[in-house]
Amino acid sequence: MSRGIAINTAVLALCLAVPVYAHFAGEPFLLTLATRAVILALAAVGLNIALGHGGLISLGHAAFFGIGGYAMGILASHAQTFTPIADWPLLIEGTKSMPVIWLVAMVTSGLAALVIGALSLRTSGVYFIMITLAFGQMLYYFAISWPAYGGEDGLSIYVRNGFPGLNTLVPMQFFALTATVLAAAMALAHVLGRSAFGLALNAARQAPARVEAVGVRPFRLRLTAFVISGMITGLAGALFADLNRFVSPTMFSWQLSGEIMVIVILGGVGRLFGPLAGAALLVTLEHVLGGVSDYWQVYLGALLLGVVLFARGGIIGTLAGRDVAHG
Amino acid sequence: MAEPVLQVQGITRAFGALVASDNVSLDLREGEIHALIGPNGAGKSTLIALISGALAPDAGQIRFNGRDVTALDTVARARLGLGRSFQISAVVPEFTVLQNVVLAAQGAAGHSYRLFRPALKDRSATSSARAQIARVGLEARAAIPAADLAHGERRRLELAMALALKPKAFLLDEPMAGLGADGTAQMTTLLETLKAEAPILLVEHDMDAVFRLADRISVLDYGRIIATGSVEEIRQDPEVRRAYLGADA
Repeated sequence: MSRGIAINTAVLALCLAVPVYAHFAGEPFLLTLATRAVILALAAVGLNIALGHGGLISLGHAAFFGIGGYAMGILASHAQTFTPIADWPLLIEGTKSMPVIWLVAMVTSGLAALVIGALSLRTSGVYFIMITLAFGQMLYYFAISWPAYGGEDGLSIYVRNGFPGLNTLVPMQFFALTATVLAAAMALAHVLGRSAFGLALNAARQAPARVEAVGVRPFRLRLTAFVISGMITGLAGALFADLNRFVSPTMFSWQLSGEIMVIVILGGVGRLFGPLAGAALLVTLEHVLGGVSDYWQVYLGALLLGVVLFARGGIIGTLAGRDVAHG
Repeated sequence: MAEPVLQVQGITRAFGALVASDNVSLDLREGEIHALIGPNGAGKSTLIALISGALAPDAGQIRFNGRDVTALDTVARARLGLGRSFQISAVVPEFTVLQNVVLAAQGAAGHSYRLFRPALKDRSATSSARAQIARVGLEARAAIPAADLAHGERRRLELAMALALKPKAFLLDEPMAGLGADGTAQMTTLLETLKAEAPILLVEHDMDAVFRLADRISVLDYGRIIATGSVEEIRQDPEVRRAYLGADA
């Protein structure tokens, strides 16, 4: 395991070195990129709980990412125009407070995951992939055709939302905030993975008949994991919207679901530091190769093919070797 | 006499025109090993699936521990104390021996929804798991992933998992399958000590083991039970000899 810890430390050090360099070199754009990587990593931490531990190949996690994004967009847009979201039966006002927005984002995406999960987890394999994809697309088209919140054009939020005690407009402070949220989510994923629940969930992925034989329902384990997973990805969506100060239906797009999945696979399915490594690599490639060619995704595709064919454990799995507990 | 632990009454299950279980009745009493034998295709697997809850019967009733469990599924029956092993080992391949048995122990204890406490630090689950691992003689292999175990060891791991459930009855589907002579001898000794804990319904092809272990034997042929009795009665039964055992038994 010590090799695994060394690799994880190296990944962490590398990811922290970039913002520190950006800060002292005076390159705020690099800091924005690092923040983007951290937020995508958070979305992938969410997916990794469902995919890595539960074996649930969800191609619809953009649904939760988008719900988180729109939770932020709706609350903040009402706050900036001073119009209530609803005045009957209860007066609900918008807000620019991140903790409130995060809570709303997590509760709504969790509820959505409960409904989507309860319906789609009755299937498995390719049908599960298709149903989750279909739910994601449903929300995508709904967002496009919902004129109240910008429809296809999306919603701009002029000033980044606030967090008590911080000035979130300072790039370094916003980066530190997102990094702290990511660290908390990773700690949660770590604890969950080692818990009795994590053990049963991992067992249900590998040998569902065995789990039934010890008196536990794989469906309920998977649904619980799917809801936790959706909540974390939803929180990432709210942060992503705040980073861009913009929400649009593309947050619901299946390309985004694919991107989150690519991050998990590149980094290492089921590995604690996989999402971070994968997101850092993806954002770097996007930046570096994007400057070289407009068709940079071709190279990404080749890399992904290489990982899937020759390095099943992704970056972390290849460097750190097999881990028994899927920690 | 007390009610049998497990009672199968007139159970029938057809797949299209094929009646895989035809009005089968049998029971399992406290303290016994009841062996279920029969040629390939006789309906043993179907019967096991019906008893474990993986299949629903077309007709008939299954009572377990004084309760009608016919309408319950596998999970609910496992929770009531029906511990089973599988014909093809169904252990969790990436888990170590210890993790596999802890999974069973926490399942039995109803702790599988504890989200925060580390599973392998839960004393009550691990100490009971280690005790079962010791009983099947796998102490030295506790930290080995199940995928790396030899076949015979994996069969014993299955048994340790069934034991960790602290079941009220065991349903063992060919525990000797694929074991060598040594392995079979070990397993036989192990099963002999097991029946004191809970009665065993044993599906097995190895006749030497069956004749040595069983208190009663039921013979299944074409989905029907053609005989039930003690080892001696079954050995002497002309219909059983014709259908299954052959003249030399």
